[in-house]
Amino acid sequence: MADSGELRKRTFVVTRFDPDKDQVPKTQSYEVPCRPEWKVLDALNYIKDEIDPTLSHRWSCRMAVCGSCGMNVNGTPKLTCKTSLAEYGDTVEVAPLANFPIIRDLVIEMDGFMEKFKAVKPWVIVAKEKAAEEGTYRQSPEQLAAFKQFSMCINCMLCYAACPVVAQEPDFLGPAAIALGHRYNMDSRDEGASERNEIFRGEGTVFSCSYANECSEVCPKHVDPAAAINQSKLLAVIDWATSFVVKREK
Amino acid sequence: MARPSDPQAMTPRKPGSTRTAPPQVPDDFWTQPRMRTYLLFDATGIVYLLVGLVALRVAWALAGGAPVWDALLRSFASPGYVIFHVLALISAIFVGVRFFRLFPKAQPAQIGPVKPPPPAVLHAVLYAAWGGITLVLLAVFGGIWP
Repeated sequence: MADSGELRKRTFVVTRFDPDKDQVPKTQSYEVPCRPEWKVLDALNYIKDEIDPTLSHRWSCRMAVCGSCGMNVNGTPKLTCKTSLAEYGDTVEVAPLANFPIIRDLVIEMDGFMEKFKAVKPWVIVAKEKAAEEGTYRQSPEQLAAFKQFSMCINCMLCYAACPVVAQEPDFLGPAAIALGHRYNMDSRDEGASERNEIFRGEGTVFSCSYANECSEVCPKHVDPAAAINQSKLLAVIDWATSFVVKREK
Repeated sequence: MARPSDPQAMTPRKPGSTRTAPPQVPDDFWTQPRMRTYLLFDATGIVYLLVGLVALRVAWALAGGAPVWDALLRSFASPGYVIFHVLALISAIFVGVRFFRLFPKAQPAQIGPVKPPPPAVLHAVLYAAWGGITLVLLAVFGGIWP
């Protein structure tokens, strides 16, 4: 146990919202004695355990895998379990992820995200399933490499909080959903690319992306959704042009 | 602190029974350092709009005959126009460099049997093409070639 000399007092300005009492979110400040090795999540847990048990926030794995603890820290979307307090000064602002409706305090509503997620058909589509006796679907390391990066997404939604297009165009499918759709389009076992490309060209189109690249900057898993979106643009156009030449079965 | 985002941002199409506060964005969303490059990139659109208007003025002067054309060329030597053209050049270089930096990762891993070359090669080709075209244009408009 370290002595108290190692503790540093920081002020946490935390967004609070109680749907039973508040019309709009407000902020509340807490003084927290922080240990040098603490992450932002440790401070939030301290507030919840020691100062104010009414504070609501999501977290689970504490190792940047579950994607639950995404919040805006000093205005930038971060996984709070991965963000060291050493990066910050005496005042730290913690807010719910930007661009999402707020259920309570730091907890956001994910239903809109799940709708967009489902819209891109994130599963392997095949015209005819292989019979069991035909064996497993095989994939070479090279074929895996074509999409592996885009399959590393943990659905933390930081990219949606950073995207300037999501902030202004509610229909935009958004970075994570498009990256996931692109992941399946690049999968050698999948035959659903033309279906997804039609979605990519339709409402919430990939062409709404103005390549700000912010989604890739904040992605904690280096998925690079901006790359996926802009690769999807080209492939969606090629697919559209090809549809005039090659007849497709519906 | 925060201000309202688009009220429909990331809301489900069929609202559920959960009561929520509208989406917010940080007050400094657009002024954060990480957004500056993007905003500068967007702002170059204004410069290109002005370049387009100047191009229209050039076309207008061409139709006006020699005196109008000569007056236009004289006006281009004024400090205001020189500063504007330097700004247009900086904007074009900035947008070009940003585009070249982001271009390689926008290439799909494979289109049919075709794979794009490594990013370093793509960069080299883009800069070489840019330099080559610039030299040709300088030679043509400088009266050196053909």
